[in-house]
Amino acid sequence: MTAQGPSITGAAPKAVFRVEGVKKDYRMGEVTVSALREVTLEVYEGEFLVILGPSGSGKSTLLNIIGGIDTASAGRVWYRDDELSAYGEAQLTQYRRHHIGFVFQFYNLMPNLTAEENVEMATEISRNPLPAREALRLVNLVERGGHFPSQLSGGEQQRVAIARAVAKQPEILLCDEPTGALDFTTGKVVLDVLNEINRSLGTTVIVITHNASIGDMAHRVVRMMDGHVRDITVNAKRKTASELEW
Amino acid sequence: MRVLDRKLLRTLWRSRGQSMAVAAVVLCGTACYIAIASAHSNLELTRSTYYAHYRFADFEIMLERAPLTSVFRLESLPGVRQVRGRIVEDVNVDLEGADEPRIGRIVSMPDRQEHVINDICLLEGRYFSEGNPNEVILSKRFAEANRLVLGDRIEASIDNKKHSLRIVGIALSPEYVYMIRSVQELVPNSERFGILWVPQEFAETALDMKEACNNIVGSVEDPEQLDAILERAEDLLKPYGVFAKVKAGNQISNRFISDEIKGLEVMAKIIPGLFQGIAALVLLVLLNRMVRKERTEIGLLKAYGYSSRAVAFHYVKYALALSIAGSLAGFAVGQWLANAMIRMYVEFYDFPLLRSRVYFDVLARSMAIGIGFSLLGALFAALRAMRIRPAESMRPEAPHYAHRTLLERVPALWRRLSFTWKMIGRNVSRNAFRASLNAFGVMISSGILIMGFFSLDAMDYMLKFQFEIAQREDVKVSFQTERGKDALYEAARFDHVRYAEPLLQYPFEVRSAWRKKDIVVIGVPRGARLQRLINAKQEPVDVGATGLTLSDRLARDLGVGVGDVLTLKPLMGRITKERTLVVNQIVEQYLGSSAYMDLDTLSRILDEPFAANAVLLRVEPGMERDLSRHLKDVPGVAAVEVKADSLKGLQDTIEMSAQISNTMNIVFAAVIAFAVIYNITAVSLAERQRELASLRVLGFTTQEVGRILYHENFALCVVGLILGIPFGAGICRLLVSAYDNELYRLPFHLDTETFVTATVLSFLFVVLANLAVRRQIRKLDMVEVLKERE
Repeated sequence: MTAQGPSITGAAPKAVFRVEGVKKDYRMGEVTVSALREVTLEVYEGEFLVILGPSGSGKSTLLNIIGGIDTASAGRVWYRDDELSAYGEAQLTQYRRHHIGFVFQFYNLMPNLTAEENVEMATEISRNPLPAREALRLVNLVERGGHFPSQLSGGEQQRVAIARAVAKQPEILLCDEPTGALDFTTGKVVLDVLNEINRSLGTTVIVITHNASIGDMAHRVVRMMDGHVRDITVNAKRKTASELEW
Repeated sequence: MRVLDRKLLRTLWRSRGQSMAVAAVVLCGTACYIAIASAHSNLELTRSTYYAHYRFADFEIMLERAPLTSVFRLESLPGVRQVRGRIVEDVNVDLEGADEPRIGRIVSMPDRQEHVINDICLLEGRYFSEGNPNEVILSKRFAEANRLVLGDRIEASIDNKKHSLRIVGIALSPEYVYMIRSVQELVPNSERFGILWVPQEFAETALDMKEACNNIVGSVEDPEQLDAILERAEDLLKPYGVFAKVKAGNQISNRFISDEIKGLEVMAKIIPGLFQGIAALVLLVLLNRMVRKERTEIGLLKAYGYSSRAVAFHYVKYALALSIAGSLAGFAVGQWLANAMIRMYVEFYDFPLLRSRVYFDVLARSMAIGIGFSLLGALFAALRAMRIRPAESMRPEAPHYAHRTLLERVPALWRRLSFTWKMIGRNVSRNAFRASLNAFGVMISSGILIMGFFSLDAMDYMLKFQFEIAQREDVKVSFQTERGKDALYEAARFDHVRYAEPLLQYPFEVRSAWRKKDIVVIGVPRGARLQRLINAKQEPVDVGATGLTLSDRLARDLGVGVGDVLTLKPLMGRITKERTLVVNQIVEQYLGSSAYMDLDTLSRILDEPFAANAVLLRVEPGMERDLSRHLKDVPGVAAVEVKADSLKGLQDTIEMSAQISNTMNIVFAAVIAFAVIYNITAVSLAERQRELASLRVLGFTTQEVGRILYHENFALCVVGLILGIPFGAGICRLLVSAYDNELYRLPFHLDTETFVTATVLSFLFVVLANLAVRRQIRKLDMVEVLKERE
């Protein structure tokens, strides 16, 4: 069922992730809830992937497992040639540290640190970081670097969060409802930034959202429902963020 | 059970680590208070009952020799209730198979049993029988330590004559509850020193004191009048060579017990406030956090119709529950500790009926203190809970505004800080109260440690000062009367003696303006090597050809300094001429308070070319025992003291009792430090879960995330330690001034080791608290935490 997505380079697409028969069950007290029931999926290097689905469809769970902050109950996950699902806690931490950038719906910035310091924090632990100011420039926030999160608007906070994620120069940027808490206009600015990062740095970007129109800007769209991948479509023509409507 | 109460129980269970830490502080405070306050009540009550029952004297007058008739005249003085003339003399006691000399203090008692002042409490055997003057009643511990039983005989050497005495009774006396021969001995050595109560008839004959006495004890109607009465008594007894008047307050045994009681009283006042205050502060932090976290729930409860008061009381109950749980456990531990303390007191004090009891007033007071403080701690949170309005509570709390810290004013420094330290800096300034509480906890904890170690340091130094720095002889030989140069030469010629130095001790009355005191002036040869004088800078100084050297306490008591003039009047012998002398220098002295003078000058004041009543000897190593055995039988020798023997056991005893209290102190300090740091860190962690979880997502390891909390704790620990040093030293200063009297005073001496140990232990407590939090950091669930809206 794997649909061949377009490769940025035009050569045969290389998979960054291979997800094979992944299941995830949560024990909620006495009952067990299945968040993922057998998901198989490949994510290609350099692509902009949007995972669509209503809440409870399992898209966040899938993203968390790929990002190494959660583990699968069954099935296997490969990051390039390494089996992620075999990693221990310490290996997962190193994996997140060096390969993954996360962007969340609610930003999760350190309230005690200024925008620039929030970015610096990420640069301190990575091997080959972008300078903090450089990262802020990517999201057009250099002049707001000295402000604390509480002094920034939601959109600005989200851009700081993106700058923080990008500053580590990750290969993959995982975004969980990045525009969920933002209004339409601000949301588009954020999406534009993500697109720009995908384009200029070649970072693989995975965005999960329940907003179907965002799918139009992706290379591929994965639709999820009830813990399954329902279908995968390839966009013949991608829209830019500014062309999106919702 | 009401629903709210059920919620309370679950909250207690969910935060059991923190709840237990708070309860532990309450427990320690309660236990400590109960132990100390019970011991205090116990000692106080036992002492007053004992003193009343056996008529402990209000005063004691020591003199050369007075006819018994003068005692009757004393009794007729207005305000005097009862008087008894007796004979008191320290003598050598020979026991079969004992190689160390024993000193027995002969104390005469009426031939037939009467209700006298300073009566004895017979534990075994009987009182003297008529017509048998050679009977003796022994003090309990001396008998026990030397395995002497009723019917055994002991030999007392009095004036070079041996008297065989049969033991007919074993007794205790209110005069010797703390049985030391002189203040220099510090702790009892029951093997080497005991009391020999003998019939008056025997004492009069053996000591050649027919119809006379050398010690008068008495009681008065009104203790306020004691000074005036003693003044008049002295006038009356002037012809008989009064050399010391001792009020009950300065009686050695009583002084030591009083100081112990006073110390307990002070501790009972400080300790509960300290612990319960800390528990209250920690509760304040915990409950505030809880109310903030449960904002929505509180609003919901109110929306359902719960009154503000009911909701507020819910949080008060949390505090009460912890306080009551801690108190109840504290009662048990406290009672156990009280028993342990009584057992320790029984080691040192001879009371006939010292046993541990339960003092319900102490229990009630402790409970009241615990509850009072916990209410204080809960007050703030309860008020906050009352103020929450249902509609508002459903909305998220207004975001807090981070602000710049002082450190940022120095950008050069700030820029160099890693983000961990930036986070710490901002967090400390954002939660200044919590941060100060954290440092405060360490300060109190290290203060308690320093205070605990200080008592050992001070005692050690006191011994070192007394027995190594100031007094450097191996053996001290005292003569019955003043002797000339021949005695010195004779002593120097004994086998194994390497060096001999004379000493002349003589009682004087010193006056400065209206201040007057009976003291012992010690004549020391110039350039003395064995009896050295040490000034405040800890340097040995020479006694000087003229003038007086005073101990600092004596100088203070007389209100004089270097250059002031004192009038001295001999209190014994035929010379009564007064002299005026200039104070030359002030020296340190911790045991006793004396004046020193050049031996030759002192001899001349007494109208002798050379006089000495003691000789200090330096002896070939290991030969002290041989020498002392030999010296005991030399005519004119009153007592032989081997320093090594006095020192033996002294250090062990002090160390043992210090170890017990230090173990307690370390436990208390650990509980305080741990409870404070652990709770604050746990609260901080709970509050910053989201922040810290997102760091984990970014790829920070548990260790790196933990570091943000750990380093903050260590940094605050350093602050607490820096504050703890002056705080601890301050408590020690307080102790020094509390234990400062004519008999002894504590040196203000703290070893570097004490600070090092306190620092290391404090860091260890912080590490323990950090380890306890570490588990929670490990458990941080990134997915769960990040899912929730802030």
